[in-house]
Formats: sequence, C-alpha cells, structure tokens
Amino acid sequence: MNSPDPAIRIENLRKRYGDKVAVDDVSLHIDSGEVLGVLGTNGAGKTTMVEMIAGLRKPDRGRVSIFGLDPQQDRAEVRQILGVQLQQAYLHDALTVTELITLYRSFYPDPRPESELLQLVGLGEQGKVRFGRLSGGQQQRLSIALALAGGPRIVILDELTTGLDPRARRQMWKAIEGLRDDGVTILLVSHVMEEVERLCDRVALIDSGRIIALDSSSGLVSRAGAENLDDAFVTLTGNELEDPE
Amino acid sequence: MSIAVEAHRPGAGAWLSLIQCEAKMVARDTAGLVVPIGLPLLILVMSASAATDEVVANGRTALDVFVLPLVLTLVISTIGIINMPSFLAYYRRAGILRRLSVTPASPAMVLVAQVVVSVIQAVIGITAALAVAVLIFDANPPVQPGAALGIFVLAMAAMYALGMVVAAVAPTPNSAVAIGLIVFFALAALGGLFGGRAALPEPVAAVGEWLPFGATVQALSAVWAGFAVEPVHLISLGVTTVLGFTVAAVLFRWD
Repeated sequence: MNSPDPAIRIENLRKRYGDKVAVDDVSLHIDSGEVLGVLGTNGAGKTTMVEMIAGLRKPDRGRVSIFGLDPQQDRAEVRQILGVQLQQAYLHDALTVTELITLYRSFYPDPRPESELLQLVGLGEQGKVRFGRLSGGQQQRLSIALALAGGPRIVILDELTTGLDPRARRQMWKAIEGLRDDGVTILLVSHVMEEVERLCDRVALIDSGRIIALDSSSGLVSRAGAENLDDAFVTLTGNELEDPE
Repeated sequence: MSIAVEAHRPGAGAWLSLIQCEAKMVARDTAGLVVPIGLPLLILVMSASAATDEVVANGRTALDVFVLPLVLTLVISTIGIINMPSFLAYYRRAGILRRLSVTPASPAMVLVAQVVVSVIQAVIGITAALAVAVLIFDANPPVQPGAALGIFVLAMAAMYALGMVVAAVAPTPNSAVAIGLIVFFALAALGGLFGGRAALPEPVAAVGEWLPFGATVQALSAVWAGFAVEPVHLISLGVTTVLGFTVAAVLFRWD
C-alpha cells in the first residue's frame, strides 16, 4: 500500500435505467493533477457516469473511489475535496452573485476568497445582480465559481463552456489552466474539440455507455489515422459529435 | 490507502448564512407576503368593527374570543401550507436541492432553514395582527398567555408538517401552490373561516374541529376566554404533526 491512490478510480461501473444500460462496465483512473476529458454524443452515458462519480447516483455494480474514499459512504469527506459543476443546475434566483458566493463559501472550512472567485470567472462587475437576471453565460460562469468555492483538489465540470461566447470560453480555459498549474485534478465533460485538445492530458471517448478509446488527443488522432480529433471521434465511435447548443 | 480528510460538517456560519439567504428569498417574493400578512389583517379589520363589545367571558369580547383566533390561525396556516411548500417545490424543480447535495451542506439544511424563516415570518404576522387588534380595536390579551404560546408552537408544527407533505408530493412548483391552496381552503372552510362553524351542518362542523385549522381556532379561542382546552384539539394538532412529518420524510423526493 505504498503507492498513493489516484484522484479518481472507477472499477467496472454499471448503471441501467429499465432495460437501457446507461453505463456499461466502465473502468478508469485519473491521476492526481491530471486533466481528463470525456467526449461522447448525447445519451452516451457521460452525465450518468459523472453523477455516480459525484455520489449523486448509486451504481448498480462496480465502485468509485475518490482518493480512496467512497462518495456514498464517505460523503462528508468527499464533499470537502470534490467540487462539482452540474449541467443545468439553477440557483436561488432572487439572490445576488455575491450572496450566492457567500453562501457556498460558508459550507467549506477553508474557502477561496470571494474576490478571487469573482475575478476568476469574470463576474467582478455583477456582484449585486440577482441570479435570475444574469445571462445564461453568466449563470454558467457563476456555477463554475461555486464549484471552486471550497478550493477543491478535484473538480468535475459537466459541459464547461456550453452556452458561453468565445471570449468567456477563452477566459474559462485560462481559469482551468490556472487550476491545472495548481495541481488540481480535473474531469472535464465536453462537446468542444478545441477545448479538449487544449486542456486535457488524456481523453476518454464514450459511446453507448462504454469507453471506446482512452489516450492523449494526439494519440487518438494517430490511432484513428485521422486529421484531427473531430475526425478521430467519428472514425472511432462511428458517430458525429453533435453540437449541444 | 485513502488520504486523510477531516470530515468537516458545515457549522454555525453555514446555518446562519443559509437562514439569511432563505429569509431574503421570502422577503423578495413580495406577492407571497400578501396572503399570510395581508389577508389576516384584512379579515381582522373587516370583522373587528362588526364584532360587538359584549363580554363573552372573563372580560374578553367577541373580538378576542372569536375573531382573533381565526385571524392568527390564518397567519400560521397560510405560511405553513401554501408559502413554504411552494419554495421547496421550486428548489427541487430548479435543481437547487441537487446542487446543494454535491456540497458539504445537505439539502435537508434548506428544509430546516425554510422552517426557521417560516417561523420568523409567522411571528411577524402574528405580532402585526395583534398590534393592530390591540391598538386600534381595543382587543385583550389571552387569559392564559402561556397556554396560548404553547398552542401557537403546536399549531405551527402541525401546519408546517402539512406543508412538508404538500412539498413532498407536489411534482412542480405550480402544483405545490394548487395543492397547498386546496388543502388550506378545505381545512379553513371546515374550520369555520367562511361564516363560522354555526353555519355548517353539525357533522361537518364536528369533522372540521378535529382537523388542524379548526382545532387551532378552537384551542386559541378557549385560552383567550380562559376556558380549558379540549383534549381532542391538542390531539388533532399532535397527530397531524407526527403523521405529517413521517409521511413527508418517507415521500420527499430530492430531485
């Protein structure tokens, strides 16, 4: 037991809804400090996988370990070190940006400073604006700031830059690179090839609940004999990657 | 080997922050304040001038013994059965409970914070109604103030338990308001909100008195006049509280 645990390890993970298998025997590990991208079409099982890793859903079979901790049984510990940005999660709509950041910071023993969080996601000017009055992109950025409020060692980002304009998108990429430089482990679910190529050390291609391929993006491209990651995705999964917007 | 992480539970700061946030949500929902604060005051003003100065018992008038208990029960029941569940159903629908469940805070903390804020809101509503009644209409305090306080607490527990059941079974925020209104009007009508219990057929009036709205009105009426509270009213409120919270705990869906 000398080798340290990986940040995230999942073993033979399986989840079915009725007769549809959403996640089918997936095993994967993410090293501490690594940025892993998850690419797949809608309905490929990405979100179900993320929800099981985050402890929101109980797997039918298999197990998840976060630095050796079980997200279901060691909930309190895991919540300290794991920050999660959920796809389409809304917040108290009558509360302002600052009020929400204050609230989420209060849950953690050693939160990141409020001004730093606001600056990181470029909402410094919007502190007094209510969540319900923010644009979709601003809501998304606030959601990312809240995932980082506790100063997590692992961050799960589900559709990081969906709905963001190009400028905000680049700003988020810079923020993620900053986290990576700080040694934060990142699981990034994405539809954006450029984002995955730029940020991720390795990429998992998911199709019909299974991992089809797992390699660096250049590794995937050369394995598929393709021109770019887009083409590699089509060659390896047989599916076009549709735009979620 | 797993890493050592201290299991830090959200402390007093987190609770305070959450209660402040819930209070702001409630205060900024202006339309939601009209019914629990405004409606009882309206009924008080309209009934107070009609109520006679005739003493019913122990120096307490019809205003004290019949109008005030109804008005104060209205404050507690509208907040508990209509307002609180609409917030909780919205939080679930919007994914707010789900979002909180991936933080060290438990979504159950939101439920507790909503109850705390609802109690504060009820205290404000009761104080406002009492102040208007005493200062403008010469109302009198209850003959048994301690017992009145106890009944307020028990009635709030019963109404909030009913509200939790509404929040547990309502699939959408809209249906929470609809179900809350139906439950509220059914209980209130049987409890004598419209035209008093005397206007109801005897068996219906008897049933209404066993239900929490009627039971609260009757119990408050007794302590205001200085009579003994009938056990059936206390049992009604106690059973509603226990049954309501139990059913809500079993049925409540977090997402």
